[in-house]
Amino acid sequence: MKQIAYYPGCTLYTKSKNLDLCARETAQILGVELKELETWNCCGAIYSTVQDDLANQVAPIRNLIEAQKISNKLVTLCAACYNVLKRSNHNLFLPENDIYRRRMMNFLDTEYDGKTETVHYLEVLKNDIGFENLKTKVKTNLDGLKVASYYGCLMLRPSDELNFDDPDNPTMMDDMFAALGAEPVEFPFKGECCGGYVLVDKPDVATRCSQTILESIVDAGADCVATTCPLCQYNIDNQQKLMSKQFNLPVFYFTQLLGLALNVDQKILNLDNHYIDPKPLLKQKGLLK
Amino acid sequence: MKSDKKRIGVFVCHCGINIAGTVNIPEVVKRLKEQADVIEVIDHQYCCSDPGQNLIKETIKEKKLDSVVVACCSPTLHEPTFRKTVSSVGINPYNCEIANIREQCSWVTDDKEKATDKATKIIKTIIKKVEHDEPLTPITIPVTRKALVIGAGVAGIQTALDIATAGYPVILLDKNPSIGGHMSQLSETFPTLDCSQCILTPKMVEAKQHPNITLMTYSEIESISGYLGNFKVKVRQKAKYVDWDKCTGCDVCVDKCPKKTPDEFNHGLTQRKAIYKMFPQAVPNRVVIDAPNCLYLEKGACRLCEKHCPFGAIKFDDQDQITELEVGALVMATGYELLDKQMLGSYGFGKLKNVVDGLQFERILSASGPFMGEVKRPSDGKIPEKVVFVQCAGSRDPENAMAYCSKICCMYTAKQAILYKHRVHHGEPIIFYIDVRTGGKGFEEFYKRATDEGVLYIRGKVSKIFEKGDKVIVWGADTLTGKKIEVEADLVVLSTAMKPAATKEFAQLLKLTQDEYGWFTEAHPKLRPVETLAGGFFLAGACQGPKDIPEAVAQSSGAASKVIGLFTSDTLEHLPVIAGVNEDMCSGCGICIDVCPYKARELVTTEDGKKRTVKVIEVLCEGCGACSAACPVGAAQQKNFKDQQIQDMVKGGLE
Amino acid sequence: MLELIESLQEIKKDIELLSGQTLSDCYQCGECTAGCPTAFAMEPVPSQAIRLLQLGKFNEVLNSTGIWLCASCNVCGERCPRGVDYGKIADALRTIVLRNKLTHLTLEKIDKQFISDAPQQAFIAAFRKYTT
Repeated sequence: MKQIAYYPGCTLYTKSKNLDLCARETAQILGVELKELETWNCCGAIYSTVQDDLANQVAPIRNLIEAQKISNKLVTLCAACYNVLKRSNHNLFLPENDIYRRRMMNFLDTEYDGKTETVHYLEVLKNDIGFENLKTKVKTNLDGLKVASYYGCLMLRPSDELNFDDPDNPTMMDDMFAALGAEPVEFPFKGECCGGYVLVDKPDVATRCSQTILESIVDAGADCVATTCPLCQYNIDNQQKLMSKQFNLPVFYFTQLLGLALNVDQKILNLDNHYIDPKPLLKQKGLLK
Repeated sequence: MKSDKKRIGVFVCHCGINIAGTVNIPEVVKRLKEQADVIEVIDHQYCCSDPGQNLIKETIKEKKLDSVVVACCSPTLHEPTFRKTVSSVGINPYNCEIANIREQCSWVTDDKEKATDKATKIIKTIIKKVEHDEPLTPITIPVTRKALVIGAGVAGIQTALDIATAGYPVILLDKNPSIGGHMSQLSETFPTLDCSQCILTPKMVEAKQHPNITLMTYSEIESISGYLGNFKVKVRQKAKYVDWDKCTGCDVCVDKCPKKTPDEFNHGLTQRKAIYKMFPQAVPNRVVIDAPNCLYLEKGACRLCEKHCPFGAIKFDDQDQITELEVGALVMATGYELLDKQMLGSYGFGKLKNVVDGLQFERILSASGPFMGEVKRPSDGKIPEKVVFVQCAGSRDPENAMAYCSKICCMYTAKQAILYKHRVHHGEPIIFYIDVRTGGKGFEEFYKRATDEGVLYIRGKVSKIFEKGDKVIVWGADTLTGKKIEVEADLVVLSTAMKPAATKEFAQLLKLTQDEYGWFTEAHPKLRPVETLAGGFFLAGACQGPKDIPEAVAQSSGAASKVIGLFTSDTLEHLPVIAGVNEDMCSGCGICIDVCPYKARELVTTEDGKKRTVKVIEVLCEGCGACSAACPVGAAQQKNFKDQQIQDMVKGGLE
Repeated sequence: MLELIESLQEIKKDIELLSGQTLSDCYQCGECTAGCPTAFAMEPVPSQAIRLLQLGKFNEVLNSTGIWLCASCNVCGERCPRGVDYGKIADALRTIVLRNKLTHLTLEKIDKQFISDAPQQAFIAAFRKYTT
């Protein structure tokens, strides 16, 4: 089986196990082994754009070097990890940052040529497995489920560094859901910010950001939301309890719905770990017994 | 003294105190007499004056001179004067040279000693040049006194009319079936609000009826060869599938045609038939069949137009026709287009039905437009109560689209907002802008009129546009209060950037240079704005950069006057100081072809077919010397600036 | 009011160096403010913050609440017509304050229940952006 280096990141190891386990399991079903790095550390969770802030890049670069033992690609699931790892590598290896690159290598006492490509699991599904192929592997067609794919900021911007999808009109997750038989819902806030870490300092500000997104999703007629990031998930799902409007809209990790379509064990899906209980919706749609 | 030695005379001018105030002229004369191999050295107070010129003439006769050096001011000033003087007494004008001891010597120093030394050296240098100068004769080329104007919008029409009125034949070509260009699509024009069609149509008709103008519509340039005064242009006239001699433009066929397709003239806001007339006032007033959409031409069934045409004008076996034209000058009037809305991702990629661009809104406002002048929105035909205009959509945006200001948007947006308000009295027009630029006659007053009539201006660039229900939401900011602003609009009009209509391929076909955005480059940004560096090619209208109608028309008349000037004689004289090629030495490497800014050099095979060599198209060569400097073997030599000559000049200066 | 560094020009150099942005590139179109998800709560909003910096009012911006509300979502930088990334400028401004040992956030300020509920990622990010 094809092995690709895999970086779970801190939150996926604890509070967002469902994002992680569903990915490992579905990859297995689809013929790819997500091989976890032997040792890894937290990526830092947010990219520092401060030009001389080399210390913040040490952790992500170490993870990327570690990946070399397994493959030239490093798969992540969490949008924040994806953003931090990919940008750290991209920017450190720009010609104008040569001096920083050399300082980093001296510090890490190693040689690394920047060849580890950070990829998101969605990209693995699209490019290594293929959505057409994925379609043939579906056991439970998600027919009738209207899913709003919420990408957030960290997957999309800055587009010149990440080059993930069109920053104004991303479609990769929508295309995946279409392959699973679900109905992707168009809404104009796919890439708007959920409030992110501002939540910790100013919960009211962050919550207003996520409420605006939920309003747009409900307007578009979606049954549920899919996310790629534990923080987005928390802002969109858990913070519904603090919103001035009651949406009662289930929020999934995209890997949970993928797992559902591939008949992954319910224990792994872990549908209990949600603020808005998604089970009634799935039962109503005939996707869950 | 050898008999073939040149008999050179030197005339040193005082230029009042301009030269003599700094340069010790008697000393210069003395040194030259002692050191230079010349027949005579004479100084004079003002060589360019009548007595000065007479002195030169008399000395030439008396001393039997064959070459002359005048040490005076810059050659740009009096080289023609003195060359004329010497030729009046039988010396070839190209054997008279100027030594510039004013601008390059006396004016740039106060040090008399150094000035005197330098003046002597400059003159010695030029004496060395004259020793090698050959007699030259200007090159005479015939001129075909007929012009081709490419693009028949208002700029092309104006150019053609001006040239034709001066008495020269003009071919006015357009890729569309009708002339008229974008101006025929406009509703009313700023800042006077006169109807665009009403002022343009008479000009279109005049062009059609002018005995000196031949219209070639539905035509494109296939290839071009030749040079200034003598171009050969192949034109492809696209198959119209209608015999225009028989067609009367009655439109019976259009009514009967069952096939519909988006109407380009209305920018996709309506449908047209597969057989169609571009617009009711089209000139020529004829129909064409758009083959890819015609049921008969594509699928072999229908022929309704043919059945119903009262004049038997339908011609399904029509073919493209290639015509070869001979013209003396070409005028580019290819105009502009608007930036594709698809480029503007955060403004909805052009996918939102109620987000239109400036030209679409012109059609909506137009009395002959999709809604007959009533302002309705495309999605559902509702009258929009709130219309947001977004300026700088792709302009002034070096990061994402065009770096330049499209210039006309401030005014046409104000106009569109005013016209909207005239049609929908209770409507709310809102304009988001970065700066309002009103540099034109009556423009600032027009801006004032817009605010007087109830247009709300908000200073800020829009970040995002999206749909919510049947509304269009606009996210902008008011930078003056620092507030983020959300508007629920019924219709949004994007003032998308202007971009050149001429493609890179088209420019390459004509060997014309474009700037990084594709606007044609003028010969000089200030002093030669309607000419190009390619002889015989002129620019009119917005193909050179964003322009409004009066500017385009003015430039068109400018281009026309250049063409008329060229046509005043049936021959042209071209300076003979040009580069040549020593075929024996030329290796055919082609380096000189790359460096030549005038495209005056081409690679050919020698007459005996044995080797590749470079040929100079003498008419195009401007004698800049780039080829001589670049040639690795010294095969490219410029007349009267040969390598040997320049080396001797350097030596002369260092003696 | 904090007086962080004596020479204002030094701060300007710091901001431009740390952010990699040239303040004079901004022509105040306001697109950053227009697209900013937290602009409704910001004081000053991004375009005004840049304007104040252009005017040399560094302390006014460094002492403002606005710079702490930037969620680093990068919409402003992505769409700016002049290639100015306010997110990076805000990052630099926060860094200048933090490097002067002025922590913005302390653990005591955060609700205990929230700490046990919210993902670690939120805290790591917040502490990176808000503390020295």
